[in-house]
Amino acid sequence: MLFNSLTFLVFFAVVFTLYRVLPGWGLRKNLLLGASYIFYGSWNPPFALLLLLSTLIDWWLAGRMGREQNQARRRLWLTISLVANLGFLGFFKYGQFLLDNTVALLALVGVDYKPANMGILLPVGISFYTFHTLSYTIDVYRRQLVPTTSLRDFALFVAFFPQLVAGPIIRARDFLYQLEAPPLPKPGRFTWGLFLMTLGLFQKMVIADTLLAPTADAVFAHPFPLAALDAWAGALAFGMQIFFDFSGYTLCAIGLDLCFGFHLLDNFRFPYGAIGFSDFWRRWHISLSTWLRDYLYIPLGGSRLGTRRTCINVMIVMLLGGLWHGAAWTFVVWGALHGFFLLAERGVKSLVGGAAWASRAPAVTAAWLATVIGVTVAWVFFRAPDFGQAMKTVLSMAGAFGAQGDRIVATRELIEVFAVVAVVLTLHRLLRDSSIEAVVQRAPRVGVAAAWVFMLITILLTGGNGNAFIYFQF
Amino acid sequence: MPSSTSSSEHMIERVVPALPWSGILIAVILAVAAAVVAWELHCRSLGYAPGLDDTNDLWVEARRSVQPESTVIVGSSRGLFGLDLDVLEQGLGTRPVQLALVGSCPYPVLRDLADDQSFHGTVIIDAVPGLTVVPYMAPPYKNAEKAVQRRHEQTWSQRWSHLLSLPLERTFACLQQEDLKLSVLLHQLELPNRERIQIAPALPPKFSTIDRDRRTRMQAQVETDQVLRDRVKYGWAPLFTPPPKPSWIPDQAFGEFMGKLFNDRFVDMAKAVADLRQRGGRVIFVRMPSTGDLRQLEEQLTPRPVVWDRLLKDTASPGIWFEDHPELSGFACPEWSHLSAQDSVTFTQRLVPILKQTLITAPQ
Repeated sequence: MLFNSLTFLVFFAVVFTLYRVLPGWGLRKNLLLGASYIFYGSWNPPFALLLLLSTLIDWWLAGRMGREQNQARRRLWLTISLVANLGFLGFFKYGQFLLDNTVALLALVGVDYKPANMGILLPVGISFYTFHTLSYTIDVYRRQLVPTTSLRDFALFVAFFPQLVAGPIIRARDFLYQLEAPPLPKPGRFTWGLFLMTLGLFQKMVIADTLLAPTADAVFAHPFPLAALDAWAGALAFGMQIFFDFSGYTLCAIGLDLCFGFHLLDNFRFPYGAIGFSDFWRRWHISLSTWLRDYLYIPLGGSRLGTRRTCINVMIVMLLGGLWHGAAWTFVVWGALHGFFLLAERGVKSLVGGAAWASRAPAVTAAWLATVIGVTVAWVFFRAPDFGQAMKTVLSMAGAFGAQGDRIVATRELIEVFAVVAVVLTLHRLLRDSSIEAVVQRAPRVGVAAAWVFMLITILLTGGNGNAFIYFQF
Repeated sequence: MPSSTSSSEHMIERVVPALPWSGILIAVILAVAAAVVAWELHCRSLGYAPGLDDTNDLWVEARRSVQPESTVIVGSSRGLFGLDLDVLEQGLGTRPVQLALVGSCPYPVLRDLADDQSFHGTVIIDAVPGLTVVPYMAPPYKNAEKAVQRRHEQTWSQRWSHLLSLPLERTFACLQQEDLKLSVLLHQLELPNRERIQIAPALPPKFSTIDRDRRTRMQAQVETDQVLRDRVKYGWAPLFTPPPKPSWIPDQAFGEFMGKLFNDRFVDMAKAVADLRQRGGRVIFVRMPSTGDLRQLEEQLTPRPVVWDRLLKDTASPGIWFEDHPELSGFACPEWSHLSAQDSVTFTQRLVPILKQTLITAPQ
């Protein structure tokens, strides 16, 4: 069930109305849990059983860990949780990938192995809810969190429909306590939630799907070399599309949570205003980058074990981060590029140190533009269906085909893409230390109302195209 | 230690901007309602009326209604516009399921029927030669492929969204997506393009209505409004003309590649027809009328002996070419490519006896 569908509109209206009229907090939580499983089951009902199984395993294991004093046994329970969760993820998401690569490797040594097609369907959102539940068992193991005794609360934390299929990746410590008692009434919270949902849908349906997707799709599907302008238009269009698509989903999730009285942390903070790649990852998909930091980078030793080991740790995290997005080598290359950028940034910082010129406007602007360009080039590998297409696009961007490159982007589309790019870069640069709430707080109320009307009308004009959010496939 | 039973730490509280939200919400609702009413009135003043959109979900609904012994129409818009389901039902004794898709190649839908082990009915293929042999990467092939894919991947949520959209489409003229959605409105901004640009030609404006069972009729305005008629009529040539050869591929290699694709389509069509026939199904090809410059262009690009005759031979199927039958000839397509709503009834009435006669002799 997509947020940008009529079915969801009705679903939300029914669930919210019942939520408001049902007596008792327990009944209301039952409602949200049932609604969340209906929401998830609307894609493929049997996969709701997998979600339930993952929930039961982690709730039971965390309970055992909470009561157990023997450290070896606690480690055993954690290991079972990791194996079960990563096993599900590995089988459904990486099973075919591993098999394909095994076949390719065997072919290299002359073995002609042709296995039957596994025909594995990827359960939507499995990468997200696996990380939800893993953070819980790891935090309980580390004694950073007391396990909940309520299976219902834990199940609702894992399955709550706004953030179930594409995040943000929620930590139990940030959400479970909100289920203890009904949220206190707060003036404007519901309407502000609706405003954020509208902003999210506008980002997704109007900007990502209508203005940017056609150019990105055309460029990444074109089988021949392109003119540099067209290749850049495609790469930039995708860089902006994925931001508006994913940020739009996140805003919908945050807005929905607010409507029900819950609070989620930000997942994006004006990422195209980042100065440097480490800054970018503090602003882009924050819930994933902090998850990887807390549960992978720091346990690996972080930056505490010397320069060489730090570099290795950064690359491990970014390679796995790339692979988390999809079972393809192009995602690994995307992660590797970001790892390389992060290490190069560390190198540059150690060279220039605290030089005065490095903090002056020209150097800062150059660092900002370098970040935008690096991120955009990396997106090519994220979006391209294979290496051939990715390399062809990168070479086209470098002008390798000169005037011979095909021109496939119409003037109108060029204007749409570059206008969006100009607006986004300007706004993100100006607002990098601000927030949506602060911007709206400062705006005149007539301006807020006019912007809301504009967004709603343009959303209606799109005709509800019903395209899935890009991150659903991860 | 943060605890699920203690909320003393890790409290998250999102800021709600201090604005008069109730007043803003009411003002927004009123303004959006007024804008929708104004846009609806404007659309109606332009001649648009409420009606269904020909979406892939509507197609999936029709596809789901196919029974093992159904008669099914496959093909493109000429079959949609030109074959009247009521007349066919009266003449054939069974109401056909309309599965033709605008601007599409018939093969993906035919293959889907051939793969459906429960189906052993009759398939009437509206075969526009140029669309039948279109390469797999071209939009007409993709159009049909997407519809078939939707059938296999449609979720319950998408099905419900489709059902919920039907009463809205029947109420609001401004929901005519082919002409009035934002992406199409933006396409109407005509700006000069760079030299050597390779972009798809513009699609014609909406000039038809469709029923729940996908019976499609040309709007009467096409016959009375010359501006609309000419917009549609003169849009066909660029749509039917194949794009130029890519400069990156040598002539010979390109010729061999396209030749292989061309030949493969006949092989694939023959295989699909044979698979259907093996289960007792019947297949008949119909060449619907086209007229004027478009008729000449089609013959020039896809001569009858090269496509149609070979298609019948390779699939060992009967076919009805409209010009072979005096009673099916002589219809004037208002915009060269489709029959008018009125003519479609007459055409189908005259087609039915020929269809019945041909089906009797059709191999099973």
